Amino acid sequence: MMRRALLLATLLGFMPLVAAAAQAASPTPPKEELQAELSTREISIQSNFTGIEILVYGSIDFSQTKAPDPGNYDVIAIIRAPSQPLVARRKERVAGIWVNSRGEVYPAVPGFYAALSTRPFRAITSDETLKTLGVGIVNLDFGRPATEDLREAQYRSAVIRLKQKQQLFQEDDDGVSFVGRSLFRATVALPVNVPTGRYTADVYLFRDGELIGKNLSTLEVNKAGFERTIYLLAFNQPFAYGLLAVLVAVLTGLAGWFAFRRE
Amino acid sequence: MFQVYLPIAEISVNLVLMLGLGAAVGFLSGMFGVGGGFLLTPFLMFSGIPPSIAVATGANQIVATSVSGALAQWRRNNIDFHMGALLIVGGVAGALIGVILLKMLREAGQAGLIISLTYVVLLGTVGLLMLVESIGAMRRTRAGRPASGRKPGQHNWIHRLPLKLRFPRSRLYISAIPPLVIGWVVGLLTAFLGVGGGFIMVPAMIYLLRMPTNIVIGTSIFQIIFVTAVVSVLHATFNQTLDVVLALILAAGGVMGGQFGVKAGQKLRGEHLRALLAVMVLAVAIRLLFDLVLKPAELYSISPLLAGV
Repeated sequence: MMRRALLLATLLGFMPLVAAAAQAASPTPPKEELQAELSTREISIQSNFTGIEILVYGSIDFSQTKAPDPGNYDVIAIIRAPSQPLVARRKERVAGIWVNSRGEVYPAVPGFYAALSTRPFRAITSDETLKTLGVGIVNLDFGRPATEDLREAQYRSAVIRLKQKQQLFQEDDDGVSFVGRSLFRATVALPVNVPTGRYTADVYLFRDGELIGKNLSTLEVNKAGFERTIYLLAFNQPFAYGLLAVLVAVLTGLAGWFAFRRE
Repeated sequence: MFQVYLPIAEISVNLVLMLGLGAAVGFLSGMFGVGGGFLLTPFLMFSGIPPSIAVATGANQIVATSVSGALAQWRRNNIDFHMGALLIVGGVAGALIGVILLKMLREAGQAGLIISLTYVVLLGTVGLLMLVESIGAMRRTRAGRPASGRKPGQHNWIHRLPLKLRFPRSRLYISAIPPLVIGWVVGLLTAFLGVGGGFIMVPAMIYLLRMPTNIVIGTSIFQIIFVTAVVSVLHATFNQTLDVVLALILAAGGVMGGQFGVKAGQKLRGEHLRALLAVMVLAVAIRLLFDLVLKPAELYSISPLLAGV
């Protein structure tokens, strides 16, 4: 009895040591941490604005990848502008001419949306996760529930097509690339017609289809300087703006008259 | 390099292209002695400016060009201020209706269509009439008769209307109603199409009111300044469609181009000028008509929601 009890005590006493030894042989690595940043946090639209390219970059701290080859980790970056209500209209032939129909209202369409990733979205994680995170244009709901209706589907795909044409919707499943074991980068081109407002930049880190880290940040896109003054005046003080426009025109006319009157 | 961002249109345009467009329209208006708004607004639409912005900005640009023109006319004492004032009263009333109408159409997504259609009808009619008239004049010249086929002034039904007023500069004693109505129609067109409306007003004043031709042009330009100014302010206030940067670029081009146009115009015969203008007006009308009739490559369009649809 005594001997047995002693043995048990000895074993129990040794247990932590054994565990520690086992850990030393194959240590549980620290959890990966995602760091991400944008090349710019503020974009000013001025008279020479013709669009801008922003860089999304970051690293995976405690990356467990041994060699710089892809596979272990996937990164998805989503840049999104505030949503706005939008009307989509279809032209129909009425008495020989093409006339806009009544149209469909989409209450919340992102003014800009770009989704970039290391691999095709569906290869990275489940459809459910993609939907929850709003990854991929097909997973945007535009503020109204999607139906099976054919007309609805046509309107929806038209909205997407037109937004893509204006480069206001972008998808690139090869847009994020790894540099070495833990660094990654992606570039997003904001076209000249980008809406203003506070954008969100969400970066998600996946391993084996599982979301293991995210980094959410914001980006301000604003008109600046003269353009901002004009824009604010036109929308906040429209009457004064109108008077100003007339004054500018009258002065231009007067200047022209003075410049050429000698003849 | 020369791209300029337009704060209201929210697009980037080429500065040289827009200056050139302003100058080209200014040149034509100087050459033909017309305002040129009916060419500028469609050209802006062709170059991708949204129709409502093209209209409001076009009207604002005309303020600039007509100030230059009116000063020149004023120096030659060619303005009938009494008649002008009456036309302006009618014009402002028409402008108010036009701006509100355009606002309603914009909210219904039909502004572009109705603007284009009105242009097609108006430019088509005016262009055809001018072409027929100028070809007739050319034939007469060739046959050795004088180019002008106009008969001496006669009294017509216009002169039997009540509310008669005296217009000393025009040496007229006529009812106030026709000038008010003419002003009203022109004001409506200015607000709706971004035109000065000279191409309607000038013939109306010559043939309906029987004003002396030299005073017609000056008075028309005088009226246009005020009505386009009111239209600018109204569009800015109700529709926020006036892009002051674009207007300034177009005006700068227009004022310069106008000077050269006047010189070029002096080298051509009147009926040839009118025939040329008629062909151009018809070409714009046909182009607009094609855009309405041909099946568009993209049937769908998207636009921001302006009000409850």
